[in-house]
Formats: sequence, structure tokens, C-alpha cells
Amino acid sequence: MKRKRKNMLSRTLFYVLLVLILVISLFPFFIMLMTSLKPTNEAISYNPTILPEVVTLQHYQDVFNPALFPFLTYFKNSMIVSFLAAFISVFIGIFGAYAMSKLNFKFKSTMNSAFYTVYMFSGILLVVPLFKIISSLGLYNTRTSIIIVMIVQTLPTSIFMLKSYFDTIPKSIEEAAMIDGLTRVQIIFYITIPLAISGIASVFVYAFMVAWNDYLFASIFVSSSGYFTLTVGLNSLFATPDYVWGRMMAASLLTALPVVIMYALSERFIKKNLVEGGVKG
Amino acid sequence: MKPPQNPTETRGKNKKIKRRTGDSKIALAFLLPTIILLAGLVLYPMIENIRISFFDVPLNPNLDEIFLGLKNYQTVLTDPDFYRSLGVTVLYTALTVVGSTVLGLGVAMLFNREFRFRKLSRSIIILSYVTPSISLVFAWQYMFNNTYGIINHWLVDVTGILDKAPLWFDNPASSFVLVTIFAIWRYFPYAFISFLAILQTMDETLYEAAEIDGANAWQKFVNITLPAIRPVLITIVTLRTIWTFYMFNDVYLLTKQVDVIGVYLYEQAFSQNDMGQAASISVILFVILFTVIYFSRRKVDVANET
Repeated sequence: MKRKRKNMLSRTLFYVLLVLILVISLFPFFIMLMTSLKPTNEAISYNPTILPEVVTLQHYQDVFNPALFPFLTYFKNSMIVSFLAAFISVFIGIFGAYAMSKLNFKFKSTMNSAFYTVYMFSGILLVVPLFKIISSLGLYNTRTSIIIVMIVQTLPTSIFMLKSYFDTIPKSIEEAAMIDGLTRVQIIFYITIPLAISGIASVFVYAFMVAWNDYLFASIFVSSSGYFTLTVGLNSLFATPDYVWGRMMAASLLTALPVVIMYALSERFIKKNLVEGGVKG
Repeated sequence: MKPPQNPTETRGKNKKIKRRTGDSKIALAFLLPTIILLAGLVLYPMIENIRISFFDVPLNPNLDEIFLGLKNYQTVLTDPDFYRSLGVTVLYTALTVVGSTVLGLGVAMLFNREFRFRKLSRSIIILSYVTPSISLVFAWQYMFNNTYGIINHWLVDVTGILDKAPLWFDNPASSFVLVTIFAIWRYFPYAFISFLAILQTMDETLYEAAEIDGANAWQKFVNITLPAIRPVLITIVTLRTIWTFYMFNDVYLLTKQVDVIGVYLYEQAFSQNDMGQAASISVILFVILFTVIYFSRRKVDVANET
């Protein structure tokens, strides 16, 4: 009897704590969604409401109206930059990670230390020289500049993650393929990539998220608003007359959507959270 | 990371050498793009950064750079703002690392059991970690708005916890509190995922045995849980410390009132346009970073941490 009561108590406590932490995690997202549906006068009322008294989809219409809000331009720039940076980072990373995982060579531990150092590195330490280098290459105010720097920023982590997936592929499969006369490059395309495809997808998602989230480099490499990514573009609208809360919230949700969906999908395909904890962020 | 076992070691010596050189060539070919990129855009900038730190560099590339010797370093190291920024950064880092790690561990322990909607709950918690900063920042700026934000409304009008509404974005002290809470909220899921993964591999019978021996919850935590999660704990604390120390995005987007070292450097370079001085700050921070990396290398296992 006593034990049962104790159990009840600990169960209740468990659910109270669980609900509390979920509310804390979700609250800003909830506010974002509700504000995006409120008319402006309600959003800036001194007596904040939780649920909208009047629901409007006006802000979503405004976000997609190029005459009012350059959201689609920013979105397109972010897409181009993040997709290309992630794709190239993964592509280069596959070969690097394959070498680190399956080949024996002299300077392997040196490479490993180099990756490790860059992995811990923060972009902020290199902004000054990178700005100079990008300018002298004539890449200032181009999307290419952001793409290149994002590839470099994500490459060491991509290689670490890919290597840990490749490590799980048994050597015997490769040895059989080599007896059949496949070259290393063929092995990568016909064996390694298909076997590690879900891992490769999660590395792509990681790199995409880093590029999508970047403000630092995008803000110094690009000066004309036609090339702004979402982070720089939306931040530049802060405190301008265009700054309508509901509209910004709608834009924020739409900015978050691609990466959240990609992350959810990649989680689904990966059975084990192998490298999740090692992802930089 | 542990060096992998060399499978050729046990074979004949001649064969081993042959195999090795063969692998070296192809390894070099596979790693070449990576090496070129890292050399060109990490190593070279690092060296260039040291060079710049001795010069007065005008923003206009057509103007000449003026050699200053150690003057930039002298300016930085005698600037009270630099030390204030360093102090703010250390405090911000300490609070964020401790806060996010403890909260992450606590929530992971809460989740280390079967319950309905466990998967869904886990996804909800990870949400703040995977959402781009810019989206979160707008929500927080709205929630904490001085005049019509819901947080001030609750703190002052509804519950009366505070007499006066704090100006979250206009006052360095309350801005600091805000930025720290934001970082803990945003990054605790990282610790949570890592801890949950290791907790789930633990043997339940250890706890049952301890219970029979009459151990209380705290004793079980100290004697069973803590030793088991130690490697993960060290890794999380080290990585989170470094990443928080150099944090720029989250702080700068949320408020301009908290000049952690990343923000201080950025403003020196791109608001004051003093590239030389910003470079010398970077060099000083390099030295700090390399010291930390040197001492943490053997303890942190990047790929195998979960």
C-alpha cells in the first residue's frame, strides 16, 4: 500500500516535470505561431493575449508578396548557398573520410590532428584574414564567397561524421570487391556510398543547417540586399518601418521549416544516433 | 581518437611497405581537395592573421598598410574594454556550460524510462537546438519586449514578482541575463541527447543491486550514474566551453548590449574598421584556444562520444 502511494507520487512528479520542460521548450515556437496569426494591433497590445482573438493569414500573404517583403529573394539565396555548400562539403568529405577510414598512410595522425583542431575552431577567429582573402580574390559581394567559406567550416565535422559511418562497413565486403577488380573509386561509388547513404544524408543535413544558420560570414561578405541570405536579410529589417511583428514571425517560422523538416526526416532514417552528439553547434 | 589498428602489421615486411606506399598515394589523392581547402582557407588565413596584427590595415585595399610593430597588441592589452569583454565572456561561458549541462543531464535522467509519447517529447526538446538562431531570436525579442512582451507582463502585472519591468534589451545587466538564459535554453538539448544515449546503454541491474544495499537516490547517482557518464560529460563540457567562448551569432543577433569576445572582435573589425587591432585580438584568442586544445586533446574523443 505504502509502496503504491510512493509510486503514484513519483509518477505524478514525473509528469509534472515532463510537462514543465516541454512547455519551456515549446513556448517560443508557440508564441511565434500565434503572433504570426494575430493582426498587428493585437500583437502590440499592452495586454498580451496568448491565443489570437482575431485570426488572420495576412502576414503569410505579405511574406510572399515581393513588393512588400523580399523574403523569397532571401530564401532563394539561402537555399542556393546552403545546398551547394552542403553538397560540396559532403562530396569532398566522402573521399577524405574514406581515406581516413579505410586506407593506411603515413600522415594519417597528422591529418587527424589537423581536422580536430579545425573542428574546435570558431569562424570568428578568422574573419579578418578571410575578409581580406575573399576581397582580394574578387569574391566580395558574391554568393560564392559564402559557399566556399561554409564548405571549409563544415568539412572537418563532415569528415569525422562520415568516417564513423564508414568504419561500420566491414572490410570483407571491400576485399571481395577488390578481388572482383573494382578500383577504390568504384568501391566508393558502388559500395561505400550506397551502404552509408542514411549517414551521408545526415551529414548533408548537418552541413546544410550550419550554412543556413550562418550570420557572421554572410554579413561581412555580402553588401547588396539582392544577395542577402535569410539570416542577414531578416536581421537587416529589424527596426525598419517594414518591421511588423506578425510578418517577422511568419518569416521566422518559414525560415525554420526547411531545416526542421530535414532534421526530422534524417532522424527517421537513422536507426542509431551514432554521431549526433559529436555534431558541432 | 584512437589510431586504427594496422592490419598489415602482422604480415611480411616487404608486403607491408608495398601496401603502405600504394595506400599513401591514393589517400593523398582522396584527401587533396580537403587539404587544399584547409590550407588555403584555414592555415593561410591563420598566418595572414598574424601578419595583419602587426599592421594598420585600411579597409580600402588600394591604400598602403602601415607597419606598427607591437602597437596593436599594446592597444588591446591596455584596453579596459578588452578585459571587461573577456570577463563577460568567461561568466557567460561558465553559466551557459554549467546550466545547459546540468539541465541536459536532468532531463536525460527524466527521459531514461518508458513512457507514452517519449519519441515525440524527445523531438520537441531537440527543436530549439535545430532551429536557426534568427528565428528563435525574433521570438525571444518579441516575448521579452520591454513594453508589450508577455514575459514582462507576467513578471510585473500578473504575478508581481518584479516591481518594475526589466529593460531586457537596453540594459547590459539584464541583457546579459537574457543572453545566458537563451544559450542554456538553446543548447541543453545537445547535452540531453548525448547523456540520454549513454544512459540507455547502462545496465539496470546495477541500480537494483544498489537498491538492495539500501542506497538512496543521491548515492546511486554519485556511485553508478556519474562514473558511467564521465567520458561523455568531459567531452560535452570541453566542446561546449570552446563553442560558447567564441559565440557570436546568438549574442549579436539577440542584443547589441552584451559584448562577449566574439562580438568585441567583430565590432573592432567591421564597425571600428580596425582590422589590425581585430587581428591582434584573434592572435591572443588563438593562443588561448590552442592551450585549451592541447590540454583537452587526450580527454576528448570526438567521434565516439555517444
